[in-house]
Order: sequence, then structure tokens, then C-alpha cells
Amino acid sequence: MTRRRTAVVTASAMGMLMTLGACGDSREEVTVGLITKQEENPYWLALRETAEKTADDQGVTLLTATGTSDADVESQQKAIADMVAKGVNGILIAPTDSAALLPAVEAARAAGVIVIALDTPFDPVDAVDAYFTTDNVRAGELVGEYAAAKAKELGMTPQVAMLGLTPGFLSGDQREAGFLASMGLDAKDPAIVADVDTQGDRELANDAMAKILQDNQDVNVVYAVNEPAALGALDALGAANIDPADIVLVSVDGGCGAIKDGVRPGLIDATAQQYPANMAREGVLAIVDAVRDDQPPNGYLDTGVQLITGNPAPGVDSRDVAYGVRNCWGE
Amino acid sequence: MASSDPLSASGGQGAAPVATGAPPDAVEGAGKLVPRHLLVPFILLLLCFTAWGAAANLTDVLVGVFRGIFDMSNFQSSLVQFAYYGAYFLLALPAAFITSRFGYKAGVLVGLGLAALGGLLFIPAGQILAYEMFLLALFVLAAGLSILETSANPFVIAMGDEQTATQRLNLAQAFNPIGANIGVLMGAVLILPGLTPEASKVIMSPQELAESQEADLSLVLTPYIGIAAVLIGIWVLIAVRKMHLPPAPEAIDLTEGGSGGTFSRLWANKHYRYGVFAQFFNVAAQTCTWTFTILYAQDVVGTSPESAGWWLQISLIIFLISRFVMTWLLTIFRPTLLLLLMAGFGVLCCLTSMFVLNIVGLIAVVSISAALSLMFPTIYGVALRGLGDDAKFGAAGLVMAILGGAIMPMVHAAVMDASSPAMGFVVPAICLALVALYALFDLRSHRPGVASAQPEVVAS
Repeated sequence: MTRRRTAVVTASAMGMLMTLGACGDSREEVTVGLITKQEENPYWLALRETAEKTADDQGVTLLTATGTSDADVESQQKAIADMVAKGVNGILIAPTDSAALLPAVEAARAAGVIVIALDTPFDPVDAVDAYFTTDNVRAGELVGEYAAAKAKELGMTPQVAMLGLTPGFLSGDQREAGFLASMGLDAKDPAIVADVDTQGDRELANDAMAKILQDNQDVNVVYAVNEPAALGALDALGAANIDPADIVLVSVDGGCGAIKDGVRPGLIDATAQQYPANMAREGVLAIVDAVRDDQPPNGYLDTGVQLITGNPAPGVDSRDVAYGVRNCWGE
Repeated sequence: MASSDPLSASGGQGAAPVATGAPPDAVEGAGKLVPRHLLVPFILLLLCFTAWGAAANLTDVLVGVFRGIFDMSNFQSSLVQFAYYGAYFLLALPAAFITSRFGYKAGVLVGLGLAALGGLLFIPAGQILAYEMFLLALFVLAAGLSILETSANPFVIAMGDEQTATQRLNLAQAFNPIGANIGVLMGAVLILPGLTPEASKVIMSPQELAESQEADLSLVLTPYIGIAAVLIGIWVLIAVRKMHLPPAPEAIDLTEGGSGGTFSRLWANKHYRYGVFAQFFNVAAQTCTWTFTILYAQDVVGTSPESAGWWLQISLIIFLISRFVMTWLLTIFRPTLLLLLMAGFGVLCCLTSMFVLNIVGLIAVVSISAALSLMFPTIYGVALRGLGDDAKFGAAGLVMAILGGAIMPMVHAAVMDASSPAMGFVVPAICLALVALYALFDLRSHRPGVASAQPEVVAS
């Protein structure tokens, strides 16, 4: 990864921009394209808003495009071609399909456009110039460390229910691997009483958790791959008249809704918060660096993850709910 | 401080002694607000009133800013208010001594000089990157402003005919809330939007973190250097100008009048004694509310820092507008009845902010300012009513109740750290409930209408 500019530069640049505003911006023109998967999910909305703010601070032209769903490949293919035609210097893209979009990305790079994958990698990962995302293994490790310590503190022998994503989906697999490693479990450990796929969907997670509770009354640790799955698990616990205080429920994401309505009241014990704003900010700054300072991006950038809880576990570093609220995404 | 500041809301530290100025050309200026030869110094003093309003309310913004820059607890960051209001409290009496011993001009110059020095101390503090150094700078700044305020109020009164003294003081005081709003505006425009996003620090190297700290502290530096520059300019203009002024009032003899002296008489007066405590809790509620509005907006509702700054700005505007509304309502209601109603309203707002953790809670926090708007002058007036000559010293005691602004924000912050950001508002809730009790006491008690130490009888 080349030298990474930080928000410090952004802050300084704001002052410079104000000064330059009076006599015109003499900085080299940069045009950045941003393609998200869809914008129904506040995660992608937060990412776009930060990209817009950073572009504004840097005096950069930002073109944006989005699809209609997480599987809308066609819209993204068209957006890449349009942006290349408009002469963008770089494209930031969260790919809906890591393989199907490869030809479009290769064409863009052949035309001299820098391509950075955000959030989701291409297959192969080095099909693009750089890849900025959460360290999902670390996210899983954080909630795993917490769940293990909390279970020990409460004198529980962990009986774990795993609410996973979808088989073969890299981020879900990585989170799960990190969680199990921190818990000191392998995938076949008898302490894992259930491991189901929920596609990260609240309804599916509710159904899956209801079934798990029917078969395993002694579940006391629940891992949810994301917050909609955690909220689905809570729905099922409520329907089964099980007090959430009797269960250690951990998740990954850090959206505002789950932090305020799940973590703050203690229904979700802890979540690993990721930062789409960092992906967007660093992505725009990386392309600005490449154009203005001739420092092209390469490799992988970890955009950070923090454990958020209102009920800390002994020996596990975490940030409080107020921190989570300040840095969450969405409403 | 002013309309936003408890001290000057009712006339400030030096409001009691009204001296008469009789410079050579004052005769031709009799009846005018300010004689022509004192017009420039008067305008310079108006700037002083604006400057200390700005400095005081800029401090409210700093608590959250320092918490973010130094990544510390709410309690640690609340030391900003302890340093600021603590200096105001500690310097209140020495300031009165300086003015009575050396005169108004000397008092104003010492105050301006010390305050400017405090502003300039932000420069080495920004280089050392030490929180303690910023606290020292704030302490020196506030110490200077305390002296300045103590001298400037009677200075303004002395700048002309006795008949127009109240008008002059009211005009000067009107610049204080303007300054208060400018202070918050400076924070909202110059500091908060430029701060390094907190989430971005998660992925910074130690060197990048140090650079971000330096960059953020340089944002803090700018408005304080600006305030220091203005104060130095005023200092020079006042120092080089010859003024014909009356001598400053002499210090009050606390032993005069026999039977234990002024202090004993005041202490035996329940309306006064309880009034000092009520003022302590009023100032405490006000400082807690404004100090933690920004933090509530960010920590509970999740607004951006810049939006949070605007919510504080709205609070001050509500406070200002409510002042006028309360003035009108006071023509309809008995002062302590209105005080009781507004204190009750304030308690309800605090409770709402504690348990409704969304935008409604934030609106409740902002609405507390409406309740606060009448409190300082009302408590001031009720506590001093019928004290006669003892009112001069009694006023100083009420002003020193500003200590509430130094201590209670730390308690509020400690509750936040131990419980949650919203639960911290239990502190202003209790403070306002105690103010309500004072109002109730006054409403239910018979009161002799003369200056005396006779105890009041509380109606059963």
C-alpha cells in the first residue's frame, strides 16, 4: 500500500480550499467514480456521503452510480463503461459479482483508469489496483474474544449457535473463522450446537433461531454474522420467552439502528463496528494521491474495526456505546 | 457569559456600587448616555463585554473537542469548566480588591492583560500537545476575564451621569449575549467541522495520530489567538488614553453595623442564604446543560460534531429570546411563581432527555435553556430584596455562587462515565429541582420588608 493520506490532510485541505476559493483552485483536476451495490442499505449510503464530502474537500469531481440490489451486475457493468467514457481517473467499486465484472474492470484498467475495490474483493483479489475493506477475520476475532470472556465471567459452558451468511461468501467465512478461533473452537466442536445460513436476513435469522431453540434449549452464546441476523435472533428469543440477559449475543457491523436499539439496551451484548466512511475517504484520497502526487495505490488497506459494548468483558479492549453511536452509519 | 453568563445576567460582579463620574466636560454631557470624551473608551468596553461572552461559551464547545483530541473520559474533559469557572470564583474577591485599590482603569488593564496572556498561552500549549497546559491557559484567561468583568461593570456605570448609569450598563450587558453567540459560532464554524473524524483514527499510525492531534489543536488555537489579539488591541487603546474618572469605590467593611457585621446578618437571612445555594445550583444547571449539549447530540443521538455545535447555538438563541419573553411574563406572574414553573419545566426537560434517547431528547436538552433564562436575575433579585446596604456584599456572595459552574459539570461527567451520556442529565435535573424548592420557599414564607437579620417565618 502506498503512503496513505489521512483525514489530517482532509482537515488541512479544508483550510487551503477556503484560501484558494477566492482566487480559483489551482490543483490538478481529478475525477473519481464511485459505484455502490445499492443504496437501500444505509451502509452504502454512508459510504457515498463520505466520498462526496471528501471529494468536495479535495476539490475533486465525483461521479456516482448504484445498482438496484446486491446482485445487480448489469448496472455496475454499465456504470464502469460510462465512467471510463467520461474520462475518470479512478473508480471505486463495491462489486456485486467478483467474477462477472472482471472484463469491465480489465477494460477500465487497460484505458488507464485506477480501480479500487471497496468492501468486497474481486476474484482474484489482484484483478484491481487495490482493495480497501474491513479485516473481517479480525471482526470475528473481536466478538469471539468478547463472547469467550463474557461466558467465562458468567460461569457459562459455551453452547454456541452460529447464524452465518451464505456458503462461499468470503466476508461471512472470514468472520466465522475469526470468531471460532478466538473462542478456541473448530468448526466440528461439539460446543457448536448449530451452524446455519441466514443470508444476513432478519426474517431468515428469526426462523433459523426459532428452530435452533426448539432443538437446543441450552444455547447460551449466539454468533450473528451481521446485525439484521442478530435482530432476527432477538425476535426468536422474544417469541420463545427467553430473557436476552441469559444469552451472550454478538454480532458484526456497527449500524446506528442496531447500536441504538440493540447494543445500547444490552440486547446485543457486543458488536464489531466497521467503518464504510474510512473505505470511501481513503479510496478518494488514494486516487487523488495517484493523480496529483504520482503515488498509485496498491495492495490491501484495513479500514478498521472496533468492539462496541455497553457491558465490557474482563481483559477485552472495547469502546463504549457512545463511541459506537458517534461512529455508526445509517439512522 | 451574560445573558448567557450568570455573572453579568443581572449586573455582574461590580454592579452594586454606582459611582458618579464628574469629568470636566461631563456637565455638557449630562443627560447623555456617555460624554463625548469617554465615547471611545466606552466602545472599547463594549468590545470587552463581547469578548468575555465569546470566551465563556467557546469553552462549552471545548469540552467535547478535547475529549476527542486527547481520547479521554468525560470527567477528564470536564476539567475545562473547572479551570474556567474555578478561576472566575477564585479571582472574584482579588478582582474587587484590585479595582478598589488601584482604580477602574488599572483593573480593566490588568484583566485585559491577563486574559490576553491566557489566550496567547494556547500557542505553547498547542506545541507541547499537553492537556494540562491548555487547562492552565484557560485558567489564566478566565482569571483575567474575572478581573475585567469586576472592573468593567462599575467602570461603565462611572462613565457618565448617574441618571443614565443603568441604561449604560444595560447597553453594555447586551453585548455579552452577542459575544456568547459569537463564541459558539466560532466553535461551530472554525473548530468542529475541521476536526479529524474519530473513526479515521482507528486506522492511523502513531505518527499520523500525533499529526491529527496537532492539526486539531491548531483549529482550537485560531479563535483563542483571535480573542487575545482583540484584547491586546483594546489594552493598548485604553492604556494610551487619558481618562477623567471618579475614584473607585472603597472596599466594604464587613464588620460595620455591629452585632456580628454584614456577614452574620446576611447568613441569618434565610431568603439570602438559600438564595446563594439556589444560585449555585442554577449556575450549575446552566453550565452542565450547555457543556453537555454537544456531547448529548453526538453520543446519544449520533449527530455529526458540526451539527452538534448548531444545536448548542440554538440553545443560546432560545435563551436570548426567552429572556424577553420572561421579562413580559414577569409583568403577569409573581417572580418566584414563574421561577417555580420554569424550574419544574426544566426538570421535565432533563427527565425527557434521560429517558427518550433520540431527537426528542435532544430537543428537550435545548429547551432547558428557556427555563434557565429567567433564573439568575430572578434569584438575584429575590435573595437581595430588602437587604439595604448589606446588598453590596450580598451581591458578591451571589456572584461567587458561580462555583456551581466549576464543580457540578464534573459530577455530571462522572455520572456519564459511570452510567451513560443521557443519565448525566440527572445532575441538572436535581439542580433545577433545588431551584424550584427555593421558589416554593419564597412563595410560602412571610418576609419582613426591611434590611435586617430577622428570621423569616415559613408558612405552614
